Amino acid sequence: MNFKEFQNQSRLYVIGALEAEELEEFEKARKKFGKKAEDYIGECYGLHEAFALSLRPAKSSAGIKDRLMAMVRARKET
Amino acid sequence: MGQSKLISSIRRKPTKRVRVAKSRTRPFSVPPVEPGGPSDLELMKAIQAEDPDALSQLYDRYNGILKALILRVIHNEAEAEDLLQEIFMEIWNQAKNFSSQKGKPLGWMVTLARRRAIDGLRKKQAYARAEERLQNETEQQPDAWVHNSTEEEIVLSDTRSLISKVISGLPPAQQQAIDLAFFRGMSQREIAAKTNTPLGTVKTRLELGLKKIYDGLKELRGEL
Repeated sequence: MNFKEFQNQSRLYVIGALEAEELEEFEKARKKFGKKAEDYIGECYGLHEAFALSLRPAKSSAGIKDRLMAMVRARKET
Repeated sequence: MGQSKLISSIRRKPTKRVRVAKSRTRPFSVPPVEPGGPSDLELMKAIQAEDPDALSQLYDRYNGILKALILRVIHNEAEAEDLLQEIFMEIWNQAKNFSSQKGKPLGWMVTLARRRAIDGLRKKQAYARAEERLQNETEQQPDAWVHNSTEEEIVLSDTRSLISKVISGLPPAQQQAIDLAFFRGMSQREIAAKTNTPLGTVKTRLELGLKKIYDGLKELRGEL
């Protein structure tokens, strides 16, 4: 696998779309390309942010935050 | 440093965002942040120091985006609200595992939320019903991203608008393949079976679509 192919596979990898046999090849290439590979995979995770930010934010009920913060404060006290 | 001191020191921190605020657009990964407010990274550091106020601020900033993501996966309002609460609790519990060297806080939160939502979906006994709903929605509205981006909205952030523009520029078949992979956690084979499309075609659609989005994002980053 050359680096261009690795880049293609990286974008599939970060969204979990690689098939098992592709994943095996991908991991081998990942080791081969080392830091360059890790840096590129890190950049590809920006896709996650992009997909989330492409959605129209949904409204949440106020009770959720109240319950969450009560749980967090209780957890902190224990 | 105590929790209240920690968060108040963040609030008092002199802002460097004045220049950004004058700009029409903001860096693509950052939704509107009040001028002088702490950055996501500052909030994460405060959460790592167990400051509940920091979690409260992070919740205010991102609950809408994360809930939209969860809803897109599980299509159920009540379950989405429960999951949203669980995810923020997990953010609190797992904050120590976050490392800024591996990415931005939002990316970490989205990855966590997506995984939880897809796991939740798979565990549901109502999975089959959700599938049926998705099937109907897919047939009636094959490219929801296009719908989102073309529908008039009173308030649409620059960030979201720009990203939606990139995504809506994709052919519907590529959007659908990416939608099923990202928001439903489907493998290429599952997408091929669901859409009655050859596996090789699904792979090509995913590769082309993701490359266009990735390249589009790089351009956006350059412009902003």
